[in-house]
Amino acid sequence: MDDGLWLRCLVGIELSCRGASWWLATARYNLVMFQLGYRRVLWLFLLPYGIGMTILITIPALSTAVLAFTEYDALSPPTWVGGRNFGLMFTSPVVRQALFNSLFFVGAAVPLRLIGGLLLALLLNRPRGLVGVARTAVFIPTLIPAPAYALIGLWFFNPVYGPLNLFLGAAGLPQPAWLTDPWSARWMMVFLAFFQLGEGFILFFVALQTIPRAYYDLARLQGASWWQMFWYITLPFLRPWLLLFVVRDLLLSLQNSFVPSYMITYGGPYYATTFVPLLVYEIAFDLFDLGLAAAVLLLLFAVVGLLIWNVWQIWGRE
Amino acid sequence: MKFLHRFYPLAVLAISIIFLLPIYWVLIQSLNSVGSSVTEQSLWWVSDPQWENYVALWELLPFTRYLLNSLCVVAVAVPLTLLSASTAGFALSQLAPQAQRSWLGVSLFWLVIPAAAVWLFRFQIFNWAGLIDTRWVLIVPALAGSNPLFVLFYYWTWRAVPNELWEAAQLDGAGAGRIWWQIARPLGRPTTTAVVLLSFAMYWGDFIDPVLYLYDSQLYTLPIGLQLVNQLDRANLPLLMSAALFMMGPVLFLYGVIQPALLRHLRFNPFL
Repeated sequence: MDDGLWLRCLVGIELSCRGASWWLATARYNLVMFQLGYRRVLWLFLLPYGIGMTILITIPALSTAVLAFTEYDALSPPTWVGGRNFGLMFTSPVVRQALFNSLFFVGAAVPLRLIGGLLLALLLNRPRGLVGVARTAVFIPTLIPAPAYALIGLWFFNPVYGPLNLFLGAAGLPQPAWLTDPWSARWMMVFLAFFQLGEGFILFFVALQTIPRAYYDLARLQGASWWQMFWYITLPFLRPWLLLFVVRDLLLSLQNSFVPSYMITYGGPYYATTFVPLLVYEIAFDLFDLGLAAAVLLLLFAVVGLLIWNVWQIWGRE
Repeated sequence: MKFLHRFYPLAVLAISIIFLLPIYWVLIQSLNSVGSSVTEQSLWWVSDPQWENYVALWELLPFTRYLLNSLCVVAVAVPLTLLSASTAGFALSQLAPQAQRSWLGVSLFWLVIPAAAVWLFRFQIFNWAGLIDTRWVLIVPALAGSNPLFVLFYYWTWRAVPNELWEAAQLDGAGAGRIWWQIARPLGRPTTTAVVLLSFAMYWGDFIDPVLYLYDSQLYTLPIGLQLVNQLDRANLPLLMSAALFMMGPVLFLYGVIQPALLRHLRFNPFL
């Protein structure tokens, strides 16, 4: 080794020692003066949230997008197969059926939950009489854990032993076979989702409280009808909340269809309630074709993303 | 409108009945004798309540174990959630506006990623970490605040507090940890109440995580117990209903205890 290199090494060591001692001194100064520094503790507070969610959500979500182009059975390392999964997916009638089921489900459940939650919030917005009890009652089905709710649904819609058909029969209405007929099974799922509308109800209830009373007083002075007040005051104020609800509920309903379809019908009858999450579960954890499952998920997100984008275009402008 | 005014109490009563009556029916059905079909009479009253249905549940499956497992998960996950979500939410509310906006954007991104999207690779991550078939797979999300929504709840609560308060506390020499514990925590009590209820419901009713990541029957939680009852004795509807009641009882009880405080604060919602 020549002298120059030695010298440079020594200088480097010297400099890094100085750097380290400077850093140590600053750290000690911070520790003494600001008890580790206000900002730094804040970042320490944010660390578990940031790192945890990155590991639990960001990385898996992004990996799913990559996984869709591979063949992977969770045992041997994944191999790149390009568009094979997508080709398989587009020719599969089961995938098409599941996509249709999921879209029908959100298409029926989300508007119903929106309208139901909004109507209940409007109705229960005034402090009178039994309103407190009703508010409590509306939120109860939402709180029931999904597996328990599914079992209750199983009994409720039982064509022979369930109370629903009993009442329908007593009222002289047709009694669908619910669990064994494709279309009534789909509507059963929508009905079950509808009754868990508590979250939307709370959201709209809180939103209604933010509208200043003065607007209504003024409108009333000018002789506005109830409908005019709703259309020109309430609805414009609620618009951002409605938008928030629709976007969130599209994704939430899609996900929440898993437990009832798994426990009540397991996708039947004739794949009528095989929603995309259940199909993905079967492909990934029964057939161990994680690549295909990821491709199906990607397709679903593309479709739902398009839906949300449309909602945004219609309501979110201005 | 006059019409609505006159019938308003009636409408409110009808809503309460529609949402509460099914719970009562479930209770009645859980006490009915096995194999009896529903008649209009048997929905309203049971003359000879079959308390054995609840015992039968225990004879069919080791429900004590499931209950203890569930309680263990909840007892660890809920306090952890409160700690991680409130510290993160507090830190968010103290950052510069620019940083707040970017964290808010990231949180919303985490919020709109559907759970199904993370199933596949989360399995891999848990596998690499050696967590598959341990209780930790159910508890781990609590280390990161459980749900971005909980963090945002806290953030909105404390963002609404005037900045002067935080600055005064800092000038008095309080560190971030101390401000969080002594000033922010009491101010965020209503939010904590809501997060306790929601996170309890989340971990207590968690069905998908044990289905995906737990294979050891010693670790099964109550939701899996319900699915096993559903598979073993599907036609025994009173038994299913007693299992369902057993599962939802604690959540509804907690809601009953917490709910007056929740509604009291709802009108003066801090995060508005």
